[in-house]
Amino acid sequence: MDLDTFRASLDEWLDAHAAELAPDHPGPGTLDDHMAHLSTVKRLLFDAGWMRRGWPERVGGLGGSTLLRAYLGEAVTARGLVEPGIFSMTEVLAPTMIDFAPPDLAATMVPRLLRGDETWCQGFSEPGTGSNLASLACRATRTDDGWLVRGQKVWTSLAQFAQRCVLLTRTGAPDSAHRGITALFVDMDSPGITVRPIETMHGALEFCEVFFDDVVVPYDRTLGREGDGWAVAMDLLPFERSTALWHRGAHLHRRMGQFLAEAPAGAVTPAAVGDAALQLFAFRARSRATQYRLAAGDRLGPETSVDKVMLATTEQAVYDLVADGLAADVVLGDDDASRQWRSEFLYSRAATIYGGSAEIQRNIIARRLLDLGADR
Amino acid sequence: MMDAEDRELLERSLRHAVDHHTGADLDAALDGLGWRDALAVDPRTATSSLFELQGAADATSAALDDVLAAALDLDTGGPVGVVLPLLGGARPPGTVAGLTVRGLGTAALARRETALVVASGGEKDVAVLVPTASLALRPVTGLDPDLGLVEVAGDDVGDAVQADPPPTAWDAAVAAGRRALGHELVGVGRAILAMARDHAVDRVQFGRPIASFQAVRHRLAETLVAVEAADAALGAAWDEPSPTTAAMAKALAGRGARTAARHGQQVLAGIGFTTDHRLHRYVRRAIVLDELLGGARTLTHELGQEVLRARRLPELPAL
Repeated sequence: MDLDTFRASLDEWLDAHAAELAPDHPGPGTLDDHMAHLSTVKRLLFDAGWMRRGWPERVGGLGGSTLLRAYLGEAVTARGLVEPGIFSMTEVLAPTMIDFAPPDLAATMVPRLLRGDETWCQGFSEPGTGSNLASLACRATRTDDGWLVRGQKVWTSLAQFAQRCVLLTRTGAPDSAHRGITALFVDMDSPGITVRPIETMHGALEFCEVFFDDVVVPYDRTLGREGDGWAVAMDLLPFERSTALWHRGAHLHRRMGQFLAEAPAGAVTPAAVGDAALQLFAFRARSRATQYRLAAGDRLGPETSVDKVMLATTEQAVYDLVADGLAADVVLGDDDASRQWRSEFLYSRAATIYGGSAEIQRNIIARRLLDLGADR
Repeated sequence: MMDAEDRELLERSLRHAVDHHTGADLDAALDGLGWRDALAVDPRTATSSLFELQGAADATSAALDDVLAAALDLDTGGPVGVVLPLLGGARPPGTVAGLTVRGLGTAALARRETALVVASGGEKDVAVLVPTASLALRPVTGLDPDLGLVEVAGDDVGDAVQADPPPTAWDAAVAAGRRALGHELVGVGRAILAMARDHAVDRVQFGRPIASFQAVRHRLAETLVAVEAADAALGAAWDEPSPTTAAMAKALAGRGARTAARHGQQVLAGIGFTTDHRLHRYVRRAIVLDELLGGARTLTHELGQEVLRARRLPELPAL
């Protein structure tokens, strides 16, 4: 199915099924509400075939261009049917499973993620490992029963909802840096796993700490081979900075549109509005080119850090504008709409922190795109 | 549209032309390689290739006049110079009553026998072909003497050939000119970035290349992001051509080049402040090209006004 056909028929289907797809929780809802609704929407999209387009047949997909996935996420985000962050976890985790998991495992598991039966999380960051991913310490040791995992992860999005985790572990010597890392696909109901949500300033319990106390993971749950963990991470991160960002851009566009409709006259300057509009346009243009490169089979790499820097800067520009234009709502408002603007404004402060900080993205650009050599 | 092979061939001959010629020589070289024909067949390829190369090489030519003339789509009987608006706006440079002209011209205007003036103020815009000799051209030295801009003035030049452009022609010409200048600004920005990058890698202080200092690295990374943002926006402005997309792309290109100028100047530091180094030419060019046909600050303000008036964002390029 080509993109134009897909776009037209999906739009028609979304219109026809608007009532079933609309969020059924009152007001802006809680994260629990959003997760429950996400499962409903994914199930409907999967059963109608939309969620299967752009994914390979060997994991339950119907084939076709990855552009179809980009458009699906854009369409459901632009209509406010799903929260882009939780919807796009599929785009972050499924491609890596397809590339690195044993084929049978991918064939069994990926359809569950696409259909909304399961939530997966990404166990990368640790208390001592933020920007310096290669320093991670969560240990996996070989035993007769499989890998024995001991350690802690942090900032693990949606871990309290997740059935599975793509987990990076240290299997080499403690100082083996990026060489001694192995990626595992872990069942979150394994004995020894404890999940503790983190209270963050924007008010949603999206991030968690995850503790692994002698958790046994079978060897057939290794993604790639022992020591391939860095390659898994490097494969995953560009996906995090391509299709998922495209969806986020669509979300920002929608919210900026709603802001423009609500903002009191004279509350913001033309220069600030023009600036945010320019950034949204530039991000859209950049990310669009990235979607086409992905669809053409190009291997995405460090150039996606440019997309991430642009998105983070754009997101903050949009919500700075919101905080100016709807200052009374953001500062004092206790109604649903105000709480949502406030939460999103606060969340936007983290846009330059999560998913590789603004500094790390610029380091990648300096090292890999500008060839400036080592930074010390 | 050209196929990939033709495009590559054109790009190679353009690169050779801008590397070896500038001004009237570059005009002759462009004539020789058929650039105006390419502009007629495939405006996107002809414009984006030449202007980015021209910006990167710090060269000048009559290409902006050709782009505007082509977009006005009038029978001019051969190459013409096109009078540009004064800085600060994009209204036609002529007024109909008595045909008064107050505008700017490229260095190529004086080299062309006929000047095309678009004039407003009547019921609709008119386009007038006048002998260039009938206009007063004052060479502008200003910030970027090598660019060779001229100030153009003329009173009562009205008995010339009148053509009747469609109502949207001037806006379309401005949009085409903005896309062209946008590519030139991207070329300027990339050239500055390349100079600053090479300097940062070579220059040793405290026993290490200054490229190893994060403060320097991040300035250069920021520059690349700004230039790539402009480049992507220009791509979208060709995919969905309109006055709005062209204005947005030009604004982003102006910002990108100014960002490159700011960070490039700081990284090149002392040597970049001397005229021994060619950075200063690019810094001057960035600012002047940004101001031509509407500067980034003005365009951003106008975009914001329009968005606030309509209470909606401009339509985004579809996937």
